[in-house]
Amino acid sequence: MRRALVLFLFAIVPIAVRAQSPQFGARGLGYPGRALAVRSIGTGGAFGLFDPESSQNPAALANVLNLTSVFTITQGFQKVRNPAGTASVRDTRFPQLMVAGPVHRFPAAVGFSFSNYTSRDFTFATAETIDLRGVPVGVVDTFSSRGGLNDFRIAGVYRFGARWAVGGGFHILSGSNRLTSTRVFDDPQYLSSRQRSELSFAGIGVSVGVTHQFAPNFAVSAVARSDGHVNLDRDSARVGTIDLPYTFGLGLHWRPAARLDIAGQTLVRTWSGANSDLLAQGGTGAQNTVEAAVGAEYTSDPKRPYRRPLRFGAHYATLPFPLLPGQHGREYGVSVGSGLRFAQQRAGLDLALEHVWRSEGAYSEKGFILSLGILVRP
Amino acid sequence: MKGGIGGLLAVVTLAACQEKLTAPADCPALCPGGQPQVFDEVFTAISGADSSFVGYVQPHEAASLLVSNGLQGFEERGLVRFLARTGTVTVRDTARTYTIDSVAFSLTVAARDTNLAGLKLLLYRLTPSFDSTTTFADVAPAFIPDSLIATIDVPDSLNAGTVRTVFQGADLSRVEIPASDSGRLALGIRIDVPTATGVRLGALAGGTGPTFTTYVTLEVPDTGTAKLRTLPVGPSFNTYVSEVPQVVDSTLLAVGGAASARALLRFNLPSRIRDSASIVRATLELTAVAPVTGLPTDRPRLLGLAVLADVGAKSPLNSVLGRVAEDTLEIGTSTASLEAVRVVELWLGATTRPTALFLSLTPEAASFSRPVFYSTRAADPALRPRLRISYLLSFPFETP
Repeated sequence: MRRALVLFLFAIVPIAVRAQSPQFGARGLGYPGRALAVRSIGTGGAFGLFDPESSQNPAALANVLNLTSVFTITQGFQKVRNPAGTASVRDTRFPQLMVAGPVHRFPAAVGFSFSNYTSRDFTFATAETIDLRGVPVGVVDTFSSRGGLNDFRIAGVYRFGARWAVGGGFHILSGSNRLTSTRVFDDPQYLSSRQRSELSFAGIGVSVGVTHQFAPNFAVSAVARSDGHVNLDRDSARVGTIDLPYTFGLGLHWRPAARLDIAGQTLVRTWSGANSDLLAQGGTGAQNTVEAAVGAEYTSDPKRPYRRPLRFGAHYATLPFPLLPGQHGREYGVSVGSGLRFAQQRAGLDLALEHVWRSEGAYSEKGFILSLGILVRP
Repeated sequence: MKGGIGGLLAVVTLAACQEKLTAPADCPALCPGGQPQVFDEVFTAISGADSSFVGYVQPHEAASLLVSNGLQGFEERGLVRFLARTGTVTVRDTARTYTIDSVAFSLTVAARDTNLAGLKLLLYRLTPSFDSTTTFADVAPAFIPDSLIATIDVPDSLNAGTVRTVFQGADLSRVEIPASDSGRLALGIRIDVPTATGVRLGALAGGTGPTFTTYVTLEVPDTGTAKLRTLPVGPSFNTYVSEVPQVVDSTLLAVGGAASARALLRFNLPSRIRDSASIVRATLELTAVAPVTGLPTDRPRLLGLAVLADVGAKSPLNSVLGRVAEDTLEIGTSTASLEAVRVVELWLGATTRPTALFLSLTPEAASFSRPVFYSTRAADPALRPRLRISYLLSFPFETP
């Protein structure tokens, strides 16, 4: 009963706050996903390289002890500000799906995951008056995009003794952007115009990761990833390729006390490799990004660490695709979360609430993102 | 209780999942690919390829009879021949003779100048021998005072409706049908009003033709009782004739009139528009040779229909609802414009449809207006028919 009430409160709180939408997904390949499960989101992403339910590091699968599947839902409530005005928007994502389990009789584990690589979901509207046939006519333009890039990962890990784990992953990157441009005229003598186009992407990548347990209470994890490039088709015709970044990450995990885990990590992505490709396509280019996160998980009962732990953390990230050439977008976020396990820990729910701020010059967003993770261990 | 909270949780979660993604756009930062641009371009009809064709609807096929007294500078008169009235009525398997008590004529006023008072319809007895080839001159001698059988005062309050006149007693002799006419009675109709005007009367083709009703008393000797009967008769033929024959000038584009004319216009749109433009407005602009005449309170409508296959005068037309350009033609105007975007849309894309349209006037052959427009043969290019198209080219979606 009390658990249900807690869930209800978690669900209803975001309705009371205002919503918002990511205008920073308008350029380039869109707003980059973080490939994090809700456990890691609750700590600001600080545990991402150690979290087997996340898809940042294949070596993290070493922590999978049972067949596990995780499904993540996020609901964003964001307020968008730019020189044209403000708007409250909300969006729903299903950014992370993961199935992993140990390999029988081997110190190994394998997993499949489906993550959001970039998302380009937005609708922008403008209203203005133009001169047509010598008469001022009001028009409303709407430009919208739906879709993005998805990352399907097949990964495995092998544990070398109690301290080392080395993993590798193969990534299939695919997705599409369905773009629509609409113009509606105030004068009914003019028909509205709606034009559509679809961009589709396809590429592959590989990743390797390693985790080393230096001591029972201290571990280091590292990851390197190359995504090669994506082929870009517009309306089924090949129009070019876009280089995707190399990713390098380093994470630290420290357990100063039995009830407290602290972690921090940083990820660097060489998005500038896509700069020339995007500029050649008429875009605003791309820049390298840095993402840093720090967070902790406090457990009231060390014997039952999944009994309503308190997770909290913060992260900072730069954004790869500027809205205007030469600018650099930034994102800050603070998170809090918790979780439940029930049915003899065969099922569970994780919740996280994240407050994010994004800005680039006169463009900004802020708002809340509620994440719900559903875990099943059949 | 747990189930209730779970259900409530599900409802709340679903409500929270509703998406709302629209945000204000600040260009150029938030306008990938830019903004749509509307282009405006004028295309003149293909020179020498526009024509008027006459003869689609004849006066006797029109939905109305035109009767006027100089509205267009000349007079028009209506002619009606009724079906034969039988000389006997069958009662109890026996043909009975009858005695005429009264006779009535009813006419439907379809349209008139409602600002004009004192309109009178004059009915004349005619010999029922006219047909579709009859001219004004052929029947003019019959419109003499001796042939005038009735004058119907059209109430000033009547905009449209039925007017009626009744003959009885001594007046029945005016509508007596000689045996040589085989029971057929014919009327000529003209109007009498001090001001030049016209009236549209219901006609056979429109299902509103005049009626000739005879009220009789049957003689049934077997019972010695009298039987009352009504013998209504509709028109077998009706038409109208004009004092001045219609003139056709092959260098101009006429629409309407009687027999009705239609105009065929052909255009040549560049492939950049046919293949990839999104047309938001297309206006056909015409310049009249003279201000359009007609009844100010009964304005005709100008129609534009896409041509399915261009075989000249008999081209099949697209009359699908929503694909016909239509607009009211103002009386006294020297220019006409027709919003034809739904017609021009049919010309776009991978289609072999001809880029041509037909202009016509409705009601066809039943309007006092017969606009005549300049064709592509006009010396002044500004007078030639033209199509003004507002369009958007393919949006330059950023990649990405």
